[in-house]
Amino acid sequence: MAITESTSVRTSKPTSSFINNETVRSVFYQILTLACVLGLGWYLVSNTIENMSTRGMSAGFDFLDASAGFGISFTLIPYREGDSYFRVFQVGIANTLLVAAIGIVFATLIGLFVGLARMSSNWLIRTIARWYVEVLRNTPLLLQIIAWYFGVFTLLPRPRDSLGWGEMFFLNNRGFYFPAPVAGDGFGVTLAAFALALAGAAGLIWWARKRQEATGKHFPAISVGIAAVIALPLLVFLVSGRPLDWEIPALQGFNFRGGVNVPPSLAALILALSIYTSCFIAEIVRSGIQSVSHGQTEAARALGVKPSWTMRLIILPQALRVIIPPLISQYLNLTKNSSLAIAIGFPDLVSVWMNTSLNQSGRAIPIVAMTMAFYCIVSLTVSFAMNRYNQRILLKER
Amino acid sequence: MSDSTLVTTDEASKALVFKPKPPRPAPPSTVGVAGWMRANLFSSVPNTLLTILGAYLVYSFFSMLINWALINAVWEADNRRECLDLVGRSGACWPGVVEWLPNLIYGLYPKDQVWRINFGFLALIAWAVPLWLPGVRSKVAIGLSAVLIYPFLASYFFMGGEKGVIWTLLIALGVTGFVWVWLTTITEMRYGLPFTRVMAGILGASGKPEEAQRSYGRASMGALFLISLIVVTQWELPEVQTRFWGGLFLTLVISGIGITFSLPAGVLLALGRRSKMPLISLLSTTFIELFRSVPLITILFMFNTMLPLFLPVDVEVNQLLRAIVAVCLFAAAYMAEVIRGGLQAIPKGQYEAADAMGLGYWQSITLIIMPQALKIMIPTIVGNFIGLFKDTTLVSIIGLFDLLSMSRAVGEDSRWLGLFIEPFFFITLIYFLFCFLMSQYSINLERRLAAGARR
Amino acid sequence: MSTNVLAQNASPSGDRGRPVIELVGMSKWFGSFQVLKDIDLRVYEGERIVVCGPSGSGKSTMIRCINQLETHQEGEVIVNGEAFGSNVANNDLIRRDIGMVFQQFNLFPHLTVLENCTLAPIWVKEMPKAQAEALAMSLLERVRIPEQAAKYPLQLSGGQQQRVAIARALCMNPKIMLFDEPTSALDPEMINEVLDVMIELAESGMTMIVVTHEMNFARRVADRVIFMDQGEIVEEAPPAAFFDNPRFDRTQLFLSQILHH
Repeated sequence: MAITESTSVRTSKPTSSFINNETVRSVFYQILTLACVLGLGWYLVSNTIENMSTRGMSAGFDFLDASAGFGISFTLIPYREGDSYFRVFQVGIANTLLVAAIGIVFATLIGLFVGLARMSSNWLIRTIARWYVEVLRNTPLLLQIIAWYFGVFTLLPRPRDSLGWGEMFFLNNRGFYFPAPVAGDGFGVTLAAFALALAGAAGLIWWARKRQEATGKHFPAISVGIAAVIALPLLVFLVSGRPLDWEIPALQGFNFRGGVNVPPSLAALILALSIYTSCFIAEIVRSGIQSVSHGQTEAARALGVKPSWTMRLIILPQALRVIIPPLISQYLNLTKNSSLAIAIGFPDLVSVWMNTSLNQSGRAIPIVAMTMAFYCIVSLTVSFAMNRYNQRILLKER
Repeated sequence: MSDSTLVTTDEASKALVFKPKPPRPAPPSTVGVAGWMRANLFSSVPNTLLTILGAYLVYSFFSMLINWALINAVWEADNRRECLDLVGRSGACWPGVVEWLPNLIYGLYPKDQVWRINFGFLALIAWAVPLWLPGVRSKVAIGLSAVLIYPFLASYFFMGGEKGVIWTLLIALGVTGFVWVWLTTITEMRYGLPFTRVMAGILGASGKPEEAQRSYGRASMGALFLISLIVVTQWELPEVQTRFWGGLFLTLVISGIGITFSLPAGVLLALGRRSKMPLISLLSTTFIELFRSVPLITILFMFNTMLPLFLPVDVEVNQLLRAIVAVCLFAAAYMAEVIRGGLQAIPKGQYEAADAMGLGYWQSITLIIMPQALKIMIPTIVGNFIGLFKDTTLVSIIGLFDLLSMSRAVGEDSRWLGLFIEPFFFITLIYFLFCFLMSQYSINLERRLAAGARR
Repeated sequence: MSTNVLAQNASPSGDRGRPVIELVGMSKWFGSFQVLKDIDLRVYEGERIVVCGPSGSGKSTMIRCINQLETHQEGEVIVNGEAFGSNVANNDLIRRDIGMVFQQFNLFPHLTVLENCTLAPIWVKEMPKAQAEALAMSLLERVRIPEQAAKYPLQLSGGQQQRVAIARALCMNPKIMLFDEPTSALDPEMINEVLDVMIELAESGMTMIVVTHEMNFARRVADRVIFMDQGEIVEEAPPAAFFDNPRFDRTQLFLSQILHH
């Protein structure tokens, strides 16, 4: 309505109309919006202040130093029951980041594998991979987490009847147990050898590139480098008398002692998160590689470039530009999705902070604000880095 | 070719006739089932090994599944103990799921009122059916009415209770809308004219000028509304509080509202973010980025704990409404980014052409830009809908009894204690079916639109 | 350097000797559709062949079979006396002697023009980088765009890109050059800059097979023109005879369609 009106006004009095001046309009709309937003904000804030005073609540951050007074079933960083609320916040962040980091590693590995299987020349493999993706990405993640937890991990046998592999790995309804490495005297030498091998491999790759530039000769620096990084520390380790002990989990009474314990909630969470995310990663990998036109492969083949080098020199550099941005956003999604831990009682940030601490202390506003701030900072940092990367890799065009 | 070259070319004017060779069938090893299998399954030794491995995986998966779900399954038992005594864990225990089936679908909705839910969803289907019928031309109006008017009808059906004046009017509007949709469908399919025009004709206005015909049409709509109003005041449904809502019904209600809200809100936010007015752009961007960078569960928690604080002391907001508000705002922020992507993909020439035609901002957006942006983003938009549908499971964490919570409740029932896998399996099928069908429909739609664009 | 590359096959009209390319009864099917029907063709050293025909006649598929970008199902493809077979490494060796230029250029967009040219010499021929760059620069000069060496392909015009593609193929010092509709994706004003390069290449004695509709190019450069339709070679003749006195009705129809605009 307003538009037809304004156009007709404009045609009749093209110059003098003050109302139709674009700047004036824009300022008017913006003032109107600002007024609405401020009004809403004032309404909410005044209500909140009133509500909080009637309920005797406080919005300050002073509670952070107070003792939280509850235990946390799994902590990555040390925590005791008497520690402060702020420590609880840190524990939550550490646990969230732990889940995210492990989940990202597994999701990437599985996703890469499934994505390549999606492009297999073998119809059966292709079809299996396709249905893996279709089924798992079309069911809710929360359902998958809960199904792994209640449908698999809590139904496992008691510790006494554990499923075991070679008396080293055990799986029961208290979680997954595996040997913990305990460094003995002289293990530092092995670590030093590892560092040395890493540096050596880097040097080797550099040397191989220089030599290829100078003489044209190829040297399989990457495979040799990887072999060296594995072999050298292993050799030193064996020669120095295997200075590494394994603390093997063993049944004592009703439970296992020693070794590393992954509680069922953590195992279910990581498994579900990485499988669910792997579907999306698989599709990203596939579409990234398929986005490189077939003409590129043909041109490389016509020049006589070997298929493995075509992949490395032509396809991957182009595909990675397409793959990396959505891949990072999947990593971000995985991090955010790790907050579903609360459904199975794993103490991540949302669970220990936004749920337990909030219920105990009643400080809704600072706690919600701190939780949101954590996720916002993570997301915005990553997307800022992402934008920089995207600008850098843009194909140079006219 | 060889025999024709032997012919001398002394008569240059008379051309030789080119007779193409008849095509021969391809070598048998490259076509048909055998050729296909050779190319796709057994092209090399490693490929053959992969095929064998894959076949083994498929076989062991399906034999396990079929054994568990069908062959070893128990279909009749009174409690889980009986199932375990019969087959142990080698077979599924379906009686628990069957017994809980009404709750999985309708939650704790009173049994004698369940017909209202069925009726509400049937009404939606009936409302939408004309969109797929041939010969119906008022599809936009019908679609809009389904989005704008149907919710009033449905919410009263689901909630019930005392109507009051406003609700009575809204319900009458809903009934009117429904009747109008089907009358128009019938008249357009039979006579090619909308219902109001046919009514005008019946009332004897067919020869009269356009304006008169319109007023006759409007009068008939008014009469329809009055009749509906009288009908509506005659009955009342008992109230069913939202805390009894649950199961698939609740899941569909939340995701339905989220989907309907997120699209228009997303459009506005996307336009706001691209606006030339710095303040509006800043506010939209802040909203979008804030809601996109935190997990949905934190937003649900926030609304669950903070909404009562934000509102005046005497206003009670029930839990379902809090969850719906959170889901809607979250979905809108995601949808805004999808639509912004669509807007960015529209070539600059389209904006310039719209400007050149003298269209105003809203005209060029609604007539030129938005239809194209929405069309190219259909797969992503549907992908977002699917995501939203899956995300509604999160409301179970703040204590609503959606499909997922209901299925967990089966295993907490004293008679079916520990019965988790079967209900999870069942609802997995439901979620998968909904999501998969949505995604297939969007792929189908995309293909049809692409074919239309090529023509 | 470049003159060496281009001048080694100097006498196109000498005694014919052994053919460098031989197609013997070659047939190919896409699914159950036969695209090539018993193609027989011999190309001798230094010969310039232009292949034309309506779209879908199989001409592109035929030259793509010559360097085995497409595999044929029956018959033989013999290059320099060696038949393509199932030995992949051997096929790669045969392919090294054949350069190819595509309709869509297929330059590598993430590499500079110079890197596009040096990639194959460095990785396939194990040539030192400096030498490869010198070779590439000399060939870029030959196609008259040395000043674009540091740019990326998508920063160039279509004609420039196609000339880079020719230089890239020449960097491998091929004995045979295949051109698959090299000017079809170009704007009209850029066609000639590419054709000029191709004419010069032809005059230096390179064995060339060119799929094109540029009939003036065919008249000027070709030793033989081949007309294909429905997967077979309908007619082959020297350009003068082909254009002035086509023998088949199909050829006449085709020529009248493309020459009378």
